[in-house]
Amino acid sequence: MAGEAPQYVAARVQRALAEDERTHELGIRVDVRGDQIFLRGQVGDEYRRETIAGVAGEAAPELELHNEISVVEVRDPGEEENL
Amino acid sequence: MKVRIAAVGDIHMGEDLRGRFRPRFAGIEERADVLLLAGDLTRHGTEEEGRVVADEFRDLPIPVVAVLGNHDYHSDAEEIISVLLRNAGMIVLDDQATVIECHGETLGIVGGKGFGGGFAGKCASEFGEPETKAFVRHTKDIAERWRVALKETPADHRVVLAHYSPVKDTLEGEPKEIYPFLGSYLLAEAVDAEGADLIVHGHAHLGCEKGLTPGGIRVRNVALPVLGRAYGVYSLKEDLNV
Repeated sequence: MAGEAPQYVAARVQRALAEDERTHELGIRVDVRGDQIFLRGQVGDEYRRETIAGVAGEAAPELELHNEISVVEVRDPGEEENL
Repeated sequence: MKVRIAAVGDIHMGEDLRGRFRPRFAGIEERADVLLLAGDLTRHGTEEEGRVVADEFRDLPIPVVAVLGNHDYHSDAEEIISVLLRNAGMIVLDDQATVIECHGETLGIVGGKGFGGGFAGKCASEFGEPETKAFVRHTKDIAERWRVALKETPADHRVVLAHYSPVKDTLEGEPKEIYPFLGSYLLAEAVDAEGADLIVHGHAHLGCEKGLTPGGIRVRNVALPVLGRAYGVYSLKEDLNV
């Protein structure tokens, strides 16, 4: 039997990130290429970034994980827009 | 004077983010007349996170009007969260309207979570299994409540505050396959029927800020990752008839 298709692995990780009570993250993009897994998106702080990587690693322990998630910047409000 | 609306959504607060936003709201009264929070104020939807949100926005010098988002419903604590926010002085809308006075003009705000279903021609219908019908009916019911709330809220200016998107424009950047879970055209149709000056929403973190309804009402996606700033400020045209 062939190994698990990468699409199913990515779907499993994405579902884990959404449903695991440690994360509940719906906005993370998960891509599997060969034996590597890539996480992309934005979260509120470094702690959440690391927690997501931990949950993803548990869901796909056989893959090399690349955590490309960034921490969202909260800049000053800037100019108003006239509608 | 122009009415200035500050808005942000998807701040996803938890104990780890306590105090993160408050400094960014210093001086907001110089920039805006009202602050709208477009849902997903928490991450897991717990009472504890609701307390963090309440503390973060307690006693701001301008009115704060909020709706909840899907994350705020996850732990079945949405009613407790709403009470905590109201006790902190915020107005929480659940398919209702509120009217605020700004510079002698009235600003009507109709707000609610909204829901999904998709966009015209590529959307779910009230057909088939009861689960599908219930999903679509939930959005239809919300849209109808918004239409009625707008009709019954005459004001110099009217703004709709939502979590889910009423249009596709502001979803640009999200995978098209998940559009039906990000919003519904039924929401825009209801607002277009009664008229408004602006619709703000969140939910779509990968979307873009600016869009329009088919009827020409401006739509702004104010999800924090989209804005990249503490809040957006939108000023409405003066009502010259006042």
